[in-house]
Amino acid sequence: MVAPEGVAPRLLVTDVLGRRFIALDKAVLTLGRRSESDVRVADAGVSRQHAEIHVKDSVCLIRDCGSKLGTYVNGERRAEHVLTHGDHIRLGENTDTSIVFLLGDDAPSQENSAIAAATELRHMAGLLEGLRALGSSRVLEDVLALVLDAAIDVTGAERGFIMLANDQQRLEFKLARVRGRVTPAGATFDTSRKIPETVYATGKAAFVDDLLDDAMSVQHAGTVALGIRHVLCTPLMLVQFVERREERAEPRIIGVLYLDSREKGTLRSAATRGALDMLSSEAAVAIENARLYREALERAKLEQELKVAAAIQQSLLPPGGRKGEFFTAAGSSVPCRAVGGDFFDYVDLPGGQFGFILGDVAGKGSPAALLAAAVLGMFSAEAGYQAHAASVLARLNHGLFRRRVEARFVTTFYAMLAPDGTLTYTNGGHNPPVLVTRDGIRRLETGGLVLGLFEGATFEEETVRLTPGDYVMAFSDGVTEAMNESGDEYGDDRLLAALAGHAGASPQGLLEAVVADVRGFCGHALAHDDVTAVIVRYDG
Amino acid sequence: MQLDQRTVGDVVIVTIRGEITLNKGGDVVLKDKVRSLVQQGYKKALIDLGDVPYVDSAGLGELTQAYVSMKNGGGTLKLVRVTKRLKDLLAITKLVTVFESYDTEAAALASFGAAGV
Repeated sequence: MVAPEGVAPRLLVTDVLGRRFIALDKAVLTLGRRSESDVRVADAGVSRQHAEIHVKDSVCLIRDCGSKLGTYVNGERRAEHVLTHGDHIRLGENTDTSIVFLLGDDAPSQENSAIAAATELRHMAGLLEGLRALGSSRVLEDVLALVLDAAIDVTGAERGFIMLANDQQRLEFKLARVRGRVTPAGATFDTSRKIPETVYATGKAAFVDDLLDDAMSVQHAGTVALGIRHVLCTPLMLVQFVERREERAEPRIIGVLYLDSREKGTLRSAATRGALDMLSSEAAVAIENARLYREALERAKLEQELKVAAAIQQSLLPPGGRKGEFFTAAGSSVPCRAVGGDFFDYVDLPGGQFGFILGDVAGKGSPAALLAAAVLGMFSAEAGYQAHAASVLARLNHGLFRRRVEARFVTTFYAMLAPDGTLTYTNGGHNPPVLVTRDGIRRLETGGLVLGLFEGATFEEETVRLTPGDYVMAFSDGVTEAMNESGDEYGDDRLLAALAGHAGASPQGLLEAVVADVRGFCGHALAHDDVTAVIVRYDG
Repeated sequence: MQLDQRTVGDVVIVTIRGEITLNKGGDVVLKDKVRSLVQQGYKKALIDLGDVPYVDSAGLGELTQAYVSMKNGGGTLKLVRVTKRLKDLLAITKLVTVFESYDTEAAALASFGAAGV
């Protein structure tokens, strides 16, 4: 027989672990040192089976079970006593545990606890803001601890843990707490995953009255050994607030809250469950916010790493300009993301020639940047030992093919300029550079396939004679394929017009003019490719 | 990007619709498709690019990788209805020397000597 909620007789037990209610909802309730006791008092002065409370027709009778040190009600030793509202029960000489019999609804109720929990959550929200302000990366752990402590206080459970679902929808153990706001040693509870997983899968709270009766009792052996018999496990439901009404906001289960106790306590009462439902939905929001906050921190860290990578990449490229006895060079590379796949480099060759290379790795971002760095490394290792431009590209192709990154290729242009004005170049699938001479403009197309895809690819080279003032401009397709807001491309014609419009300017001046022209053309359109160019003029 | 596949005789024709670019993930879809064609034992593949408005460098890398995968599996891969833009890109990268490409499906099938045409 169950008395109506609110007037049910119950015990208010207060001990070193805190305060909890124990409903008198069965015929006989046991008190004692034994771990199976409904009210367990762990004290050497308390007998294993100390006393019993018999409940019949709303009458509660406490009876001493022949205990060594006796059972006291309101300070008087009693063999038997009919309990009335407000009676204080003491087992033996034990004064660490206060047990008060309550009847009626003037006692502190679970509803009040629920309000206290809600207040606590508001404090939690404030604390979360504070932690954010401090930039703490432990926000999630702190929020989990607060949620667990609040849940333990509300339910009178002895310990609890939270599991959260990962990206693969698998529950991961996050944090455990025991009464008294303590994080226990050890990574997890020795308990079966069965209960949390069922709750996660069904979205329905589970209450296990007695693990010993449960079909899974063998799996709970570790828990039962601790005297823990009663489990309440509830889903953490995230109710999403959406701005647009047409998007349906399905509550999402982000994890489970698991509580267990040696005593049935109030884990079972409807009021506790109501309070816990409220707590868990508030908690889900707080946990999700903490998680989002941590992700934001991690992103910020990643961005910082990218900034470092970008600085390293720029340091791999030569300083933009170079002035030699017979030439002037200018170069620049602006990645569209933090790092890019374009590269260029200069090299002074043993024969007195000046070598320059410019290339583009297919793709963008970090993978392309890594491959570009590898190409630059190979180039500086090979360039000084190869007499022919074509053999430099053949070596680079070989090296890239060997370190094969599937479907990634490199287009590149390499040229060697001699003091007498002889320019020998080869083009591995790169958009043809422009050679501007007094006689006009031509494109430098001789060469071979893109690098890195075909083993044993060979390259042709061409030699042209420059006269002082002639220059070569090599560039990545980010220059000619730069787009404006209407989706038009900058294109070769605009590039040639920009060069013609600045005839006579120094290589650096020409480079700046072209880059400015490309920027002006694009307007507010976002750059979608890296922009790299090198201009080398023969000075005689 | 969408892929449709049909066979004419012993030639498998893959029609691609939409951009083949890194950003739209088209490159990965193409890779998986060609891998499965090779596994199924196809030796003659024709990629129809008539409805592909744009191929970026990553997409071109995948097309070339598709060619290499097919070749390593003892087969051949040809292109049909290559847009002007892609033709230019193939010319610049000199991959035009690698890919056989045809203006019409009939011409491409004839070049395979496809059975049952």
